[in-house]
Amino acid sequence: MASSGEQQERCPAAAADSLSFMELAVQQAKLALESLEVPVGCVIVEDGKVIASGRNRTNETRNATRHAEMEAIDVILDHWHRSGLSATEVAEIFSRCILYVTCEPCIMCASALSILGIKEVYYGCANDKFGGCGSILSLHIARGFKCYGGIMASEAVSLFRDFYEQGNPNAPKPHRPRAAQASS
Amino acid sequence: MCSKQMGSDDIGQWRIEYIPDKPPVPPDQQPTVDVVASPIDPKFANAIVRRLNQVAPLENLRHVKRVQKKCLEGGKAELSVVLCIVPDNGDLRGMPPDVQELISSYQLSTFTTKVCKYAALSKEEWEAQCKLWPTSYHPPTYNISGITGFSEDDSRSVFSFMKYAVELATSGNEWVVNAAVIVDPISSQVIASACDQVCHSHGSPARTSAEPRCYGQVAAISAKSDVNGRTDYDSLPQNASSNYLEQKGAVVSCLSPWSWAKKCAHQSSSSLWHPLRHAAMVAIESSAERDRQLFPGSGRSEDMVSEMDCAQYSAGSPAKRQKTEDLRFQVEIDEKRDVHSLQGPLEKPYLCTGYDIYLAWEPCVMCAMALVHQRIRRIFYAFPNASAGALGSVQRLQGEKSLNHHYAVFRVFMPQDTLRSVPIPLS
Ligand SMILES: [Zn+2]
Repeated sequence: MASSGEQQERCPAAAADSLSFMELAVQQAKLALESLEVPVGCVIVEDGKVIASGRNRTNETRNATRHAEMEAIDVILDHWHRSGLSATEVAEIFSRCILYVTCEPCIMCASALSILGIKEVYYGCANDKFGGCGSILSLHIARGFKCYGGIMASEAVSLFRDFYEQGNPNAPKPHRPRAAQASS
Repeated sequence: MCSKQMGSDDIGQWRIEYIPDKPPVPPDQQPTVDVVASPIDPKFANAIVRRLNQVAPLENLRHVKRVQKKCLEGGKAELSVVLCIVPDNGDLRGMPPDVQELISSYQLSTFTTKVCKYAALSKEEWEAQCKLWPTSYHPPTYNISGITGFSEDDSRSVFSFMKYAVELATSGNEWVVNAAVIVDPISSQVIASACDQVCHSHGSPARTSAEPRCYGQVAAISAKSDVNGRTDYDSLPQNASSNYLEQKGAVVSCLSPWSWAKKCAHQSSSSLWHPLRHAAMVAIESSAERDRQLFPGSGRSEDMVSEMDCAQYSAGSPAKRQKTEDLRFQVEIDEKRDVHSLQGPLEKPYLCTGYDIYLAWEPCVMCAMALVHQRIRRIFYAFPNASAGALGSVQRLQGEKSLNHHYAVFRVFMPQDTLRSVPIPLS
């Protein structure tokens, strides 16, 4: 599988660590797939510990903004609210958090992650149509976060392939991910 | 042109301006092409033009008029004709042989001149073009994404919803915030409305959708514009008087999305602040909830599968897609859009397809992209967002051709009286 391009730096985190966190993100993506949702999943990690996870819920909610990242962000914000943390405290914790997500964050999510001031993002496959971390816009550069792609990209892509294959046979088939075609 | 300036007196200074997909070029700096031209004898004009249209049609310059007519002193007219585009290397010996033959048989004395490369998009551009060489101008018609030619009724409706959004933005007890109103333009019905909930000190849970208080106003406003047909645009409600507003600070989410921690620092720990709950995001959430309530159990996963926001992923390197400039493509999209809008209000909505959104301030990137995802048809905003605006001020998301959905963007200008009462933060 091709790695994710020259714009992304090489992944500095301990390889084993980032693989195991990405594995958890892939598990989330599989949950989405089982619920007939676009299979994207993610986890948020603070100091080596998973503090939130999320997966796509756009069908269930009929809200096309309910991407995995937004779900996980709401989970952890809700938790922090209950714990009585202040906005300043929350901002400080976000600045130490790392997101692992199976697919490059879209322009909306990349922008949200920049607003929150998250530290780093590791993603699986690139998002050629909506990607906000290099594919279409590069929102991680100016007021953003460090961003590394291509981690377990083939797993992420094969979930998309499964998603299309289980989809409604009457629906026009969308374009297959290119890499999936190449590797099949 | 009536497209931009409304003629009617009672509408006053309200005005709708289209925000194009590409940054506007000053009319006198439009791209040009060098062409070979020649004065011709009027009595041969028809024959020459007919022959030229056969041997050297202006394929990519259909907006350029073949013949220029200049009135000389004494009432005589001088005609000039475009023979062909200057050959790539600039060497006139590279002109098509048939054109060269025409030149010699009519003993034409050629010269090179410039014509505008693209058809004019506005009357201003067209007037500037004609100073170089005459072109034809076809104002966009209404059914192409409603870019121009808002009818008076449509304009009134736009102004009334815009006014409502600005009122909403300024109606809070503490701060001026951004506000969003999602509207079904066919039924003039408000689908959802919301204010920023970044620093949200209301007692009500932030998660629930439409605030009851807003809902009453919404009903009132739709009824008012439906029944009377006319609404009063001239004044904001009394609580929006300038004195009152100047005492308030403005914490418009989209203007400074990164400073939420500072803005919310004084919130009590029990209050419901949320860095990402910009007005547009909250309004989208409300509209989705309305959809679920009105059409429970209408699982439309099949639509989702075919429409798939995440349809194109790859593990390859991120690469900017070839930007296509094909106008026909745009028209095709717009025709589809019209089909959707003709389906009427009783049709189950697919996300916000066919709906418009009114925002007090131009949205930030997050909100603008959320509105792409939710398939909003048109965006109207009153105030530009120089610090973080994604629809023309900083980014221009409506011009990103790779996105699978494109909305049309408009700025609504409000009368000075109304504007003066709304402080515009410069952050
Ligand atoms: Zn925003």
